[in-house]
Amino acid sequence: MLKERLAELVAESCDGEISKAEALEATVPLSYLGVTSLAQMRLIDAIEREYGVEVDLGGDISFLDSVDALAAWLSAAR
Amino acid sequence: MISFAGRRSGTAPLTWGQRAIWQAILRTAPDDHYFNFGRVVEVPRGARPASVAHVSRGIGLLVERHEALRTLVGPEPCQDLRDRGELPIRVAADADPASLLAELSATAFDYAEEWPLRVALVTTGGPLREEEVTHVVLVFCHMAADGLGTEQVVRDLRLFLLRGAIPGDPPRQPLDLARWQESPDGRRQAAGASALWEREYGRIPPTMFDRPSGVAEQPPIRRAVLTSPAVHMATQRLALRYGTSTSTVLLTAVTALVGEVTGHESVAVLPIVSNRFGRDTRTAVTTLSQEGLFVLGSAPRAGLGSAFPDLLAAARPAVLRAYRSGYHDPDDRERIVAEAGRERGVPVHPYCCFNDMRFAERVAEHDDELIRRARAETSLSWPLSQNELNCRFCVHVSDATRISVTADTRWLSAADVERYLLDLERLLVEEALR
Repeated sequence: MLKERLAELVAESCDGEISKAEALEATVPLSYLGVTSLAQMRLIDAIEREYGVEVDLGGDISFLDSVDALAAWLSAAR
Repeated sequence: MISFAGRRSGTAPLTWGQRAIWQAILRTAPDDHYFNFGRVVEVPRGARPASVAHVSRGIGLLVERHEALRTLVGPEPCQDLRDRGELPIRVAADADPASLLAELSATAFDYAEEWPLRVALVTTGGPLREEEVTHVVLVFCHMAADGLGTEQVVRDLRLFLLRGAIPGDPPRQPLDLARWQESPDGRRQAAGASALWEREYGRIPPTMFDRPSGVAEQPPIRRAVLTSPAVHMATQRLALRYGTSTSTVLLTAVTALVGEVTGHESVAVLPIVSNRFGRDTRTAVTTLSQEGLFVLGSAPRAGLGSAFPDLLAAARPAVLRAYRSGYHDPDDRERIVAEAGRERGVPVHPYCCFNDMRFAERVAEHDDELIRRARAETSLSWPLSQNELNCRFCVHVSDATRISVTADTRWLSAADVERYLLDLERLLVEEALR
């Protein structure tokens, strides 16, 4: 459920450049599929608002590169 | 003249974005017309013929819908939103839209008295057939909107011309934005951004271009424009190869070369950040863009002498930090700058900025031969000179093939500006062909 929603937010953040299904099934980092830094910022903003968390950009941010890693990060952060 | 009557009037503090551009305007006056910018909108085929009365009505609707277009700069300064008024519209038969745009942009706005939008309609026709509008020329005061904000106005205008109405509720208005920025949520955003400024201002070099060039031009501010299809293709190829945006590729290359020219081991560049990452601000008609802080070279193992792919990898998190630092309260930043100056005993300001003004792009692959051949089409021109500028080194990316440097030649000679742009092209092309 969480992953589904995160994949939806990924798709919204990049204006549908990749679909929800593509985000879920990706085997390469999302940035190679068209999730640019601009889309990443939209995604961060959407996640912070929806889940009431704060992303620390001073640390490791590789979790932005897949839906699985995002879900794991979010579960730990909440 | 057209009359307009909006829903409300009111006053509010300037938003962060308005304060930032207001400071830049004050520092650049009397050359502050520098910040004016505009758009030429061709009346879409499906909307022709469009009469002067019809198009004027559309302009009136835009001003009623977007409060930024009927907000003046009040005392202290503040937002002074008016609900009604009259906007001058110039009608020019058979005129050249580009010349009208230049003419309407050439003088600074009277911020307290003049509506922040100047409009001209280009018409054609005459005695034999009915007069119709072919182009709408819009010139904006930067206090009212930034590039992406005006894009929204242009979209609304096109919608009106095609459909006779502008559907949907207006996006968030600057008056409400100013109130949000003062709310607990707004303060949290500001605190997150200012922490990033604070961290870097203790350690970045005080300024980037710190050695007098010895060969200042008169007037000292000059702009060189590099037109290079090769840069465009090379940048696209690098973005595809390394899974990043062309904007990040360009910012990284620009930063690395500033390091080379100045000898600094870590380089701070102030990219203009759109600050439209949230759903609520994405389509707002106002000035949201502000400078962020991008630093390369301070992280271990990512010195500026590193190979370009390593620099790109280091740039990836640095760009996100720059984006977050962009949406800041200018008062916080002023305090941080003053404190850093006091503690370090020297004023700290990079005076080095980067503005990618493109809206969106489709990235495509280009083969080696195409990129090599394109280098023959490279050209360089010097379209601007003036006395004042609030920066020493400004890079503008205006479209895919045009990159300019506007420099204070007291700190970087005209010859070095030219060399810089050609080196930028060489770096990108060589990396792309590697």
